[in-house]
Amino acid sequence: MNKKTKEKKSTNSLSHYQMDELKERVKELDCLYGLTSIVKDGNLSTGEALQKIIELIPPAWQYPDITCTRITIDDKEYKTNNFKETKWSQVSNIILDDKKIGVLEVYYLEEKPQLGEGPFLIEERRLIDAISDLLGKYIGERRIKEAFAESKTAEKKQDWEVIIDLLIKTDPRTLLRMTRKMTYYLYRHENEKITSLLGRVCPVDKGSSSSQWCGINMPNPRQDLDSLKTIQKQIFEIAKESTPPEEISNLFQNWMKQDKTRPLLLSSQKEGIPLLEITDELNRFFSQNAEETTMASEDNISIKTALIRRFFTNRPEYVNIAKTFIEPEDFVSLLGRTIGPSHGSGKFGGKTSGVFLAEKIIKENMEKNEKLKGISFPRSWYITSDTIFNFIHYNDLDETFQTKYLHPDQIRQEQPFLEQVFKNATFPNEIVEGFRRIIQDLEGKPIIVRSSSLLEDSYGAAFSGKYKSLFVSNTGNEEERLYSLIDAIAEVYASTFGPDPIEYRRERGLLDFSEEMGILIQEVVGIKVGHYYMPVFGGVAFSKNEFQWSPRIQREDGMIRLVPGLGTRAVDRVGNDYPILVSPRKPKLQVNALVSERIQYSPRYMDVINLKSGAIETVDAIDLLKEHADEFPSLNQIISIHKDGRLVNPPSILLNPKESDMVITFSNLFEKSDFLEKMKHILFLLEEKIGTPVDVEFASDGEKLYVLQCRPQSQSRGMERKPIPKNVSQDKKLFSTNKYVTTGQVENIEYIVYVVLEEYANLESREEMQKIATIINELNNKLPKRKFILMGPGRWGSRGDIKLGVPVKYGDINNTSLLVEIAKEKGEYTPELSFGTHFFQDLVEAEIKYLPLYPDESENTFNESLLLHQENQLSHILKNYQNYEHVVRVIKTSDVYSGNSLSVIMDGEAGEALAYLKSPDHWSWRMQKVEEIAEKLDSEVHGVESLYLIGSTKEGTAGPASDIDLLVHFKGTEEQKEKLMAWLDKYGKKLDEENKERTGLKTDGLLDVHIITDEDIKKKDSWATHITSPYMSVKKIPLKKENN
Amino acid sequence: MAQKGFNAYTMAQEQFEKVAEQLELDQTTRNLLRVPMREYHFLIPVRMDDGNIKIFKGFRIQHNDAKGPCKGGIRFHPQETADTVRALAMWMTWKCAVVDIPLGGGKGGVICDPHDLSEREQENLCRGWVRQIARDIGPVRDIPAPDVMTNSQHMLWMMDEYQTIFGGQYPGVITGKPVELGGSLGRPEATGYGLVYMLREALKERDTDIANATASIEGFGNVARYAAELFIEYGGTVVSVSCWDQKDSCAYSYYKGKGIDLEELVKITDRFGAIDKKKAENLGYECRPGKDWLKHEVDILMPNALENSITKENVNDINSSVKLIICGANGPITPEADDVLEKKEVVVIPDFLANAGGVVCSYFEQVQSNQNYYWSKEEVLGKLDDKMTDAFHKVWELAKRKKVRLRDAAYMIAISRVAEACKLRGWI
Repeated sequence: MNKKTKEKKSTNSLSHYQMDELKERVKELDCLYGLTSIVKDGNLSTGEALQKIIELIPPAWQYPDITCTRITIDDKEYKTNNFKETKWSQVSNIILDDKKIGVLEVYYLEEKPQLGEGPFLIEERRLIDAISDLLGKYIGERRIKEAFAESKTAEKKQDWEVIIDLLIKTDPRTLLRMTRKMTYYLYRHENEKITSLLGRVCPVDKGSSSSQWCGINMPNPRQDLDSLKTIQKQIFEIAKESTPPEEISNLFQNWMKQDKTRPLLLSSQKEGIPLLEITDELNRFFSQNAEETTMASEDNISIKTALIRRFFTNRPEYVNIAKTFIEPEDFVSLLGRTIGPSHGSGKFGGKTSGVFLAEKIIKENMEKNEKLKGISFPRSWYITSDTIFNFIHYNDLDETFQTKYLHPDQIRQEQPFLEQVFKNATFPNEIVEGFRRIIQDLEGKPIIVRSSSLLEDSYGAAFSGKYKSLFVSNTGNEEERLYSLIDAIAEVYASTFGPDPIEYRRERGLLDFSEEMGILIQEVVGIKVGHYYMPVFGGVAFSKNEFQWSPRIQREDGMIRLVPGLGTRAVDRVGNDYPILVSPRKPKLQVNALVSERIQYSPRYMDVINLKSGAIETVDAIDLLKEHADEFPSLNQIISIHKDGRLVNPPSILLNPKESDMVITFSNLFEKSDFLEKMKHILFLLEEKIGTPVDVEFASDGEKLYVLQCRPQSQSRGMERKPIPKNVSQDKKLFSTNKYVTTGQVENIEYIVYVVLEEYANLESREEMQKIATIINELNNKLPKRKFILMGPGRWGSRGDIKLGVPVKYGDINNTSLLVEIAKEKGEYTPELSFGTHFFQDLVEAEIKYLPLYPDESENTFNESLLLHQENQLSHILKNYQNYEHVVRVIKTSDVYSGNSLSVIMDGEAGEALAYLKSPDHWSWRMQKVEEIAEKLDSEVHGVESLYLIGSTKEGTAGPASDIDLLVHFKGTEEQKEKLMAWLDKYGKKLDEENKERTGLKTDGLLDVHIITDEDIKKKDSWATHITSPYMSVKKIPLKKENN
Repeated sequence: MAQKGFNAYTMAQEQFEKVAEQLELDQTTRNLLRVPMREYHFLIPVRMDDGNIKIFKGFRIQHNDAKGPCKGGIRFHPQETADTVRALAMWMTWKCAVVDIPLGGGKGGVICDPHDLSEREQENLCRGWVRQIARDIGPVRDIPAPDVMTNSQHMLWMMDEYQTIFGGQYPGVITGKPVELGGSLGRPEATGYGLVYMLREALKERDTDIANATASIEGFGNVARYAAELFIEYGGTVVSVSCWDQKDSCAYSYYKGKGIDLEELVKITDRFGAIDKKKAENLGYECRPGKDWLKHEVDILMPNALENSITKENVNDINSSVKLIICGANGPITPEADDVLEKKEVVVIPDFLANAGGVVCSYFEQVQSNQNYYWSKEEVLGKLDDKMTDAFHKVWELAKRKKVRLRDAAYMIAISRVAEACKLRGWI
């Protein structure tokens, strides 16, 4: 590799060349260091010493394997075992007192390319001369020593001085580094002499009194640092005076060792260094004997932060945390499990970054924390993010990159085809062989292929669930297994271009970023039961609880969603099945307290991998557990027995699975194992170290608990945090509260259904109260789904004493987007709210938000009059309920303020929620204005051919301060152009003012106009391509003349 | 605080006054019976899991024990009020009296939400409740039972605490216990079977052969299923049952003209009583909207699921073939609908008579516990049959003789029995 790059030395491989050169320097240093320690060793005879020295020489030359050496002194020969005279030689005379006393010869055993001196480097000439010089001195000293036995010369040189002497001759650059290090060292030890010396050479006084001070915004005068060279000698003399020789010696040894990190340091700093190159560099460095290398802490930090940035992310928050837990050495094993184009510079993506950091944090803390012991991580492989590009280019599929600009419908239409195209494409051989290594490594275990998006990581957007994660059963012969893995990867790649993620990116303004998709491949943790494979249980845990089912549960208590089998059913929301919810800090406060509820909301199905068909199947959990009761590990931890109206923990050995009414509760897991303790420690450790609430996916094989994924909780589905808007005027606020707030947003609400507190309390019979429930049920079916909220007294879903709240069932309210329970003080006491407990878990699974409201508490507001004084839509929507119009009020939000909708922003982190009426969105307003412009613009007078809309207003993503980007296809004279610009400028100012009135935001140049001429179109000017390229999406705005 | 709107206690008292008027009870008797004889209000300190002590408010209301020790449930409810408990205690007195078992009426509760309590805290609460009231309950004074949000586990904790305090085995202090520990066999069947024992007698009165009778049942829960079981065993035909479908979030009724096969339906029903729609259709059942259950051409309707199921809006959907409605659920017919049915000459067996099988079985459990000897299921159900049959005929006879509705006759009998007991004791 080294030779190859050297031969191919081209302009852009200059850096390679420098790198190789640097490695040669390091070899020299090794050699010199070895030499000095030999010559210093008084116990060796001259002969022994010389024999040792010749062994040191070959490794310092370019091709150690084919290098041999001989020293001839006074007719005595010392040579390496492989010594042979050839025609490729380098010779240096050993001189003592101006007389040649011997010769040092280096031979190459094979022909090598011509370089500076035959096949040898210039530097090697310098080195050989330096060595023979040293040998001369050594022989001389020996002879003197032999002559005056036991006499000590006071002037005997320290070994470090010998090194300096050598460096002066061979490697001035290294010497300069050593000098700098020594200077810093002395400086740090407040050596006065060095301070004054430096003061002379490089004045550090930046105070205004300094004669050279030029003013605060002026650069400091440059000092000639070359002068450092001139004072090298002085510096080392100062050192010699002030520091004991052993210490200097140690320092030198240490610095020389540290100097070996330089190639790695430099490589790591290289922007986008190819995968193969950095892998080699890491391997080379860490395969060295640990005793021979030390990494200075500053080098260590530089290297690891560079590597973290290179492979994980540039995000400062991540790098900051990761650098405390990730060591350069970790990358050796990490890159050993990485597949990607060897010359590529791809990253790992968010998912891998998250789980790798979590692994490091947990492992680091295992020592200290007993509870973390035994937590495991699945075997994983990583595919770099550029592999997808590599794949696309390799198959000439580049047109797929344009997919994202197509109309969503078109994307949806094309997706299945695209997926097949991807599945039928091939990977470059290098990558396929990489995949083969994965298959071989993970033999016998099913595999999960997870997408690891870079956008998710860098922009904090929650892409969870947007891209595919696929299971591969990994059965059959090697080729079959390889084939299905490749198939799955191609499908995950295709999902990058699917309509949903693209729509999601469009919404968040991330469309123009290229989606590099890393892939995380993990073994599936689990056990084989029958012909199925599955974890004993799996799920996802959150360090902050966003679904407080009781006022006694705080956000800090965390929450776990747990299911038997694959965790997919806990991670996703599945129709009419439920995961077990538990709070690791308050495990005893169950979501479902009553036996009937615990049964109703227990998991009934489980996801498993069918090893016969290779597919994921959803099977009846109880049936499977009954059938395989004996094989299933820790069955007793998973189930309870329903008997006589109670749920009892299974009687271990006496359990008769076939006869028992088993219910999945995980009771024994919670009560008798340390699972919850473990989860608690994992969650809170990770949250503390990462500095943000986290969610963690986990699974168990019945013996060990595995952490599968970790990411910030704000990136989990439905838990994105939005700040409470601050500038909402009082009259637009419907309510605000700061009690028991969880995180979530409910927006674009069109209707508010309000059961008037007083009126409901005054109803005189149960029948009437039941009737209110009936009305709610009918409204639930009539109103647009998820576009209305329900507000009412006390407990929604009361049973028995239904005076306390409308006696609805879950089915009566399942289309609402938010359920508000209002607790108004009655006399002395405030009624307790239900916290949605009657159908809490249904709400969670359907992602219906819940919010209790205490209007009588300070800092909580409820603007009831807003609901009481608007037209009641009830009778427009439902017939026959005129009599109840005073009880049930249905308010259309656009009636309250024209065009407005209701937004409820809940920020659990800040413990605040606000419901307010929101003006028509910025997009509609802008579209209206664009049409106005088209209407008013006299196209003939201004020479306008046509008008196009691009950017956020066209995409429908405009925010309060977004520009309106207009492209004007102009075909007029300069004069017309001036006039047009003036006209548009004036119009733009008007819009700025209007927008300020609407939003309070000051914009400057809201109207952003780009003029395109025919010339631009010919030249393919970047703006012009918007209207010419079939891939760009613009909206043509009809002008007046076209209307005529 | 003056209460506007609905109040259960006021309603119970109004109902009592109406019947007292018909029975021409004197004022003293009315004064005694319209309010509870004893009320206990007490505080229960509970050490919570976090070490703090929380004070809960508990009640026990003993309405009347002239006929025997009080009997009634213990409710855990966050919005419990004394008035609700008073009303419920009074209804218990009448319910025991109408089936003529030697028990009075009581009810109790704790203001709490079990959703906010750990199991250990609930146990402490149960034991705390017993410690406060131990002297005033007991096998010969007042026997609690499970009710809203309490179950057999709570009962066992209470029984254990009581036995600890009094240092003896008193299984008769509480009912609703599991069969292994002082419970009675036949409890799951009791309400449904009791219903059909009464239905059998009613059909005899209306000269209908139960073996040729057809019925449509609302619900497919415990009561509905056992009622169907016995009805079919007697030779009757159930053409339709209904249930709530969690997935579709609505109720369906399943119809089969030839009559349902209970066994096959139970096989495709989950433990919440929801029938698998697809499988039912494969078995030849017609799946219809839930409300259709009352439209079928049958002799008998059994509303066994919901409150306010038959209202003035749908009462006219009821097929003219229907001769008899027997109420397994509580309050399934609104008063307006009741009036319409009377005009149509449909016999309505009221809830508080029809579903009294449950309380009778509780009484049997207590009897067995007291004598520490437990009967076979057949014995329990046989004795249940006797009680229900007897109760029905007493009510039927009075209703026929006085030309009043069965509901009114039942109340008259119940209240007069309690008044009589008070008189015999010399209280009034």
